[in-house]
Parts: sequence; C-alpha cells; structure tokens
Amino acid sequence: MSPDLESITDTGNKISRRAQITGTANITLGGKTVIQSDVVLRGDLHRLPQRKEDGTMERTPTAISIGRYTVISSGCVLRPPGRNSGGTWRYYGMKVGDNVFVGPNTILSSASISSHVHIGASCTLGDFSIINSNVKILPGTVVPALMVVPPGVVLGGQPARVVGELGEGWGGGGNGVGGGEEAWTEGGELRELVRAIR
Amino acid sequence: MAQQFPYTYYACCINASSSASLVQKRSSHTTTADEEDEDRTFDPRSPRANYSLYPLEHLLYCDDCQQIRCPRCYTEEIVAWYCPSCLFDVPNTQVRTEGNRCQRNCYNCPICTSPLQVNPLEHSSHLAPESSNGASYFLGCPYCNWSSLDIGVEFAKHTGITAQLAKLKTARQSQAKKEREERAENTDSNDNNALNERPTRDDLFSNLKSFYKDALSSANPVNPLSFDPTLYNSPPSVTRLMNLYAPPSVKRAKAAKPTPMREAHSTSEGLLPLSPVDEDMSIARMAQAGWDSLSSTAQRSQQQHPTTKFVQDLWPAQTRLLTRRAKRCATCRHILTKPDSKISSTRYRIRILALDKVPRLSIRALSALHTPHPSFPISVSSTAATAPRFEYENLRPGVMVQFLLTLHNPLFEPIRVTLGTPAVTPGKLASRVTVLCPQFEVGANTDVWDEALNSSTTLSSKGKMQPGDGPVQAEAGKVWERGRNWTSVVVEIVPGFPGGAPTGIVPRTAEEEEELDEEDTVVEVPVFVRFEYEYEHPDAAVFEKMREEEGARVKEVPEMGRQTREVAFWTVLGVGRVAGR
Ligand SMILES: [Zn+2]
Ligand SMILES: [Zn+2]
Ligand SMILES: [Zn+2]
Ligand SMILES: [Zn+2]
Repeated sequence: MSPDLESITDTGNKISRRAQITGTANITLGGKTVIQSDVVLRGDLHRLPQRKEDGTMERTPTAISIGRYTVISSGCVLRPPGRNSGGTWRYYGMKVGDNVFVGPNTILSSASISSHVHIGASCTLGDFSIINSNVKILPGTVVPALMVVPPGVVLGGQPARVVGELGEGWGGGGNGVGGGEEAWTEGGELRELVRAIR
Repeated sequence: MAQQFPYTYYACCINASSSASLVQKRSSHTTTADEEDEDRTFDPRSPRANYSLYPLEHLLYCDDCQQIRCPRCYTEEIVAWYCPSCLFDVPNTQVRTEGNRCQRNCYNCPICTSPLQVNPLEHSSHLAPESSNGASYFLGCPYCNWSSLDIGVEFAKHTGITAQLAKLKTARQSQAKKEREERAENTDSNDNNALNERPTRDDLFSNLKSFYKDALSSANPVNPLSFDPTLYNSPPSVTRLMNLYAPPSVKRAKAAKPTPMREAHSTSEGLLPLSPVDEDMSIARMAQAGWDSLSSTAQRSQQQHPTTKFVQDLWPAQTRLLTRRAKRCATCRHILTKPDSKISSTRYRIRILALDKVPRLSIRALSALHTPHPSFPISVSSTAATAPRFEYENLRPGVMVQFLLTLHNPLFEPIRVTLGTPAVTPGKLASRVTVLCPQFEVGANTDVWDEALNSSTTLSSKGKMQPGDGPVQAEAGKVWERGRNWTSVVVEIVPGFPGGAPTGIVPRTAEEEEELDEEDTVVEVPVFVRFEYEYEHPDAAVFEKMREEEGARVKEVPEMGRQTREVAFWTVLGVGRVAGR
C-alpha cells in the first residue's frame, strides 16, 4: 500500500492519509466506509457540551456521524451545519446514513442524509438541509439551506428543485458480480464498491 | 443528450398502434413473439424511438402478459398526495376542496423557487421587547435572500401563514382598487364608471366561473365539461354515455351540433376590459423601474395570476403537492406496483420489476478494464488511475473495436439467449456489427456461495487480455467469459463514417456537413434479445394433489408441469461517438 492511500481501521473503514480530519474524537464512522483523499471532515465544529443535572459536563457531542458502506469521494468537505442562535454561532450534528455515495468536490452541511442517497459531483448541500432516503442529486446541484427533500425523487438545478422521480427499480440490479461489470448501482448496496476501492 | 457512454436502453411499445393486438397475441399462452415485429429492425434513430426507450430500472413487468411494461402500456392511479416540503400526507378530500397546494406553511420563493423559511424579525435594537410588536415574522429565501419584507409582508404569528397571507392579499387588493379609482377620477376619461366597478382578480375569476356554469347549463342540460356525478343519474346523461360507447357511425349520426355559446360581456360576467389607465400605470412604472423590475416567464408561470408583470407584485407560491402512484398493466389490468400510502415509508406492497424478470445487458470496451462507472466518477484503485482509459467519445471511423457484452440473469432458472443485430446499424452512420457468439446460455441466479465454491471451475479466458494492445483473438461461436449468472460475449463494431463515405475517397460538400447533426455521430446498436427457460408451473404441486384426491375425475392438463417460456424484446446499446469532424 502506498503511503497516500487508505489506511484501514479496525472496523474496516478506508481512510485516505491525505484526508484532512479535525476533531477526530467527535466523528463516528459506521465501518466499511470510505473517506478518499483531500476530503475535509470538520469534527471540530460540534455542538457545545451541556452541563448535566448533577453539575458535570456531558461528553463532547458527535459532530459528524457516517453510516456503513458510504463513500465520500475526494475533495469533499463535510462541515456540520451552524446558525446564529441567541447572538452566538452554534453548530449542530450532521448525520449521513448507509450506502450513500457522495461524488467528488461536493460540500455538505446537511443536518441529515438518509440511506441510499446518490449525490453527484460538485454539489453544495446547504446548512440543515434534510435528504430523505432513495434520492438522486444530479451533479452541480445547489440545495438551499433548510430544504427538505422527499424520498424517491431526482433533484437538480441551482437552486435545487425536484426534476423527476426515480424508477421503481432504482438501486436494484446490482446483484451480478463479475463479467467485468461493476456490481454496484446508483442507490443500491455499495458493499462491493467499498471492497473494490484500494 | 447528456447520457454517458456506454449505456443500454430497453425498448417497449415500439409499434404503439399495434401494441395492443401484439400484447393480446402474446398473452394467449403461445409465447412466440410476433413474426412481423421480429423481422423489422428497430431503429433507435427514428423519431418514435424517443418514446419507447427506457433504462431498465424504469420498466415494470406483467407476469400475466409476460411482457415488459413502460409508461405507455401501464396506467397510473394516485395512491396518496403529499407535500414535498413538510412531508405531510394530504387526504384526498382536502386535495379535492383545496387544490394541489400545501395548505400548511410551505411556500416557495417567487424569485428562485427555493423553499421559503419563516424567520423571526430581529429588531435592530434591544429597545423593543419582542412582545410589544405584533408583526415579528417574515418569509425568507435561504438561496437568493428574497424576503417577504421586500413586498412589505410581515406576519404576527409563525404558524397559519396561509390564512395571514390571504388576509393581507385581500387588504392589498382593496387598497389597489381604491388607488385606481382615485387615479381614474383625476384622469379625464369618459369611462370612469367602468373603472370604478373594477373588481379584483379573484372576483373576476369567480364571476367568469359562474358565467360559464350558467351558460353551459342553459345551453345544453348535459354538458361535457361537468363532472358532477349526480348527473349520471339523469336520462340525458345515460344517452350521452350510450353515445360514447356506441360504434363511430352511430355516434356521428346522433351527435347534435353544439349550440354556440356567448362569451362574457361585462365585468360582472368576468370580462376584463382593456383599461387605458392600467396600461398607462404599467408603462410609467416600467419606465421608472427599468428592465430588472419585470418578472421572468418562469416566475410568472409560478404565480396564481400569470399576468403578474412586476417583481414587486410576485407573491410567494404555495408548494405544489406530489403524488405516489400505483401502476396497472393497461392490457390485463393487473397491478404492477403499489407503493405504501405513507410518505414516511419507501416500501412497496407490490412491485414487479423488469430487472427481476429479464436479463440485464451491459456493454463496455474489451480493452477498458477500469473505466469508471459513469455514476461513480472516482478512481477505485491506484492501478485504475494509471490504466489507459477507453475513450468512448472518440471512436475512429472504420477502425474495429471489440466490446464485451455481458448478460446477467435475474431468474432462478438458467436461460438460453439468442441475440440478433443488424449487420449494419440503421441511420446515416452505418456501423458494422458482429456478435461473435449470438447464442449462449446464462446460468441461474442461485446462491452467491455457489459461485464462490465453483470459482476455480469458471471458464475464463481473461489471461489472453492485454489492455491497450490491439485486438485480441476472440473465437467466433464461443463465449468470452462465464460466471454464476452471467455470460460475456465479444461484439466487434466497425464505426461508420459520418456522412456515409470515407473522407479520403469522396470529399464531403459543405451541404452534407451541415446535414449531419451531433446525433448522427453516435454509434447505437439495436439488439434483439430472445431468451427462453424452463420453469415449473406454480400450480403444478397443487394440481398434483388435486389429482390424487379426486382420482380419475381430473385427467390431464398438459399445461401443468415443466414448461418452456420465451420472452423477447429490443434493446439499444450506446457504445460511443465517432470523433474527427
Ligand atoms: Zn410499453
Ligand atoms: Zn407542506
Ligand atoms: Zn429565492
Ligand atoms: Zn398484463
């Protein structure tokens, strides 16, 4: 393995040595997840710990949590959403589900991205946007802050709007392995893609 | 077209006019495909083809008709309405009374369509406590920074925006009316009276609506525009229904000529007469505020009144509802998909997909082992990053390229496949196509472990392959590679010359150059896929039991037991684009 390629963690996450990760303690990865080179994970931008009833401080809240078989392509920036609340700037957690593909150079500040979401390259997902499961976001889409995207749609444009519906079979058909064809499809299981990435 | 090469489209309803009869022929148990259909090569370049080609995941399958089903041969039924913004399931009754717009607090920006947010109005100083001022909320666009304050709209509460907006609008309309009247008084015009009576747009609409309603009911008691279900009880509507279903000749004789109707004459009937005062006002406003003050066509189309001229008059648009729909086979009426009615669930109660029923075809250049999947534009491994990539966008005319066509079998039975392609592709770019092995078997979609256990025995000729080194020796009549439920065969394609003739021999005229559009450089190969398999009739076991119980009474039913089923369809493989123009 060459030095700039992935290091594999105990839970099977593949993390590029060229990824820029801050606040590692506040980031959880579900396992078998890929973080490619030049990805920026801002784990340092977390919600402030609250004082518990017994007077002690709670643990530092999780800034970014990513599920299993999710691929964050090179050049992406994951910056937890933040807003001005009562005169101070506060950050909130960001949650990314399982089997999510994020294309290269996309900037994420969503509050949550559910499972089986396919995000194209060079998108911008604004603060506190919520992407429901089974959504395809076309390359170059700009999702406004706070936008809620319903499940089963194709999203595109600047600003993003629903441009179509996904076929009933979306995410299916990735069962055949071999024959020189990839075993992963948009919105389907990304286990094989994660396995293939070296 | 933005589609990236290579791609596979499946054809359905190629011959729309005769598809109904075709379907019936096929469904009548004999599964032989229509001969006529087979003889004619499907031409992906024909204007009609646009409406019959789909990616596999968009197609459904009817088990009864044993056919692929596309949007042209299934019907849709709305299962549920929901708001895409607040994900609220809107009851059907509400949709009927309130229309297809979210009645909660969901609004879209009149400028850019982004969903609007209700924001508290932050007071610049701490002097005013929040409770002192009634209006303290506004609608804001997080994308373009439009704010309802731009059009002078504030809200007292952060809920019930629709009701508050409606109130504001009524107030504003009466205000506008007053202004107009004042202006009309000042101007020296002789139609002052008409202007004074000028109703608001909403009034105008209801006037016009009642005018047409009256006109229709008086003109002919049973009007074709009315959908009032109570009318179906009346004898005239029964006659009308009978007319609808009667043979055309009878219908023509009986149909009476409709009496011409009068149009609206006055504002009380909903007519909006051209008012010089209004026009003068608009022109003055345009002259003053300039081009930027005018709304765009797209913005107007979002508005309730599409004649809204000025950005300043654009009103936040209520979010349109979306639907979840069930789909039925148009021929046999069997249900093909039925989603859960709850938006929170992505499950389907019924879902019969084409990709579970017919083999999946995928094509790629034989020399391109590591071309990234178009949807996953990443380099999977370090070797992939450095490996030579096949340029699908840059095929050379007259130079043979070897492609690998792989068929995946989703069925639990092995299938026998026959592929048919025209020797020369239809269209101006006549490319030559040879499938080296047009007849082969594809294994059953059995357990994945079978493959793992049998991996040593899978036939593989990968060793021959040298990426980047000229054509490989692929034997005619033999499959290239085979796995658990997939088989790959080599397809040799010689891309044609754009314009028909090799450039060196016949120089192309400028006219001919012009005739070629971009689409004529795309190499698309129509492939007829026919596959057959043996299957156990699902009722065979039941029937066997019945025979045991009832003895001789049930004698023989030849259709039971193992049967052969044959399915056929056209596909189009987009293998690339010819370069060099
Ligand atoms: Zn069809
Ligand atoms: Zn809503
Ligand atoms: Zn806007
Ligand atoms: Zn049917």
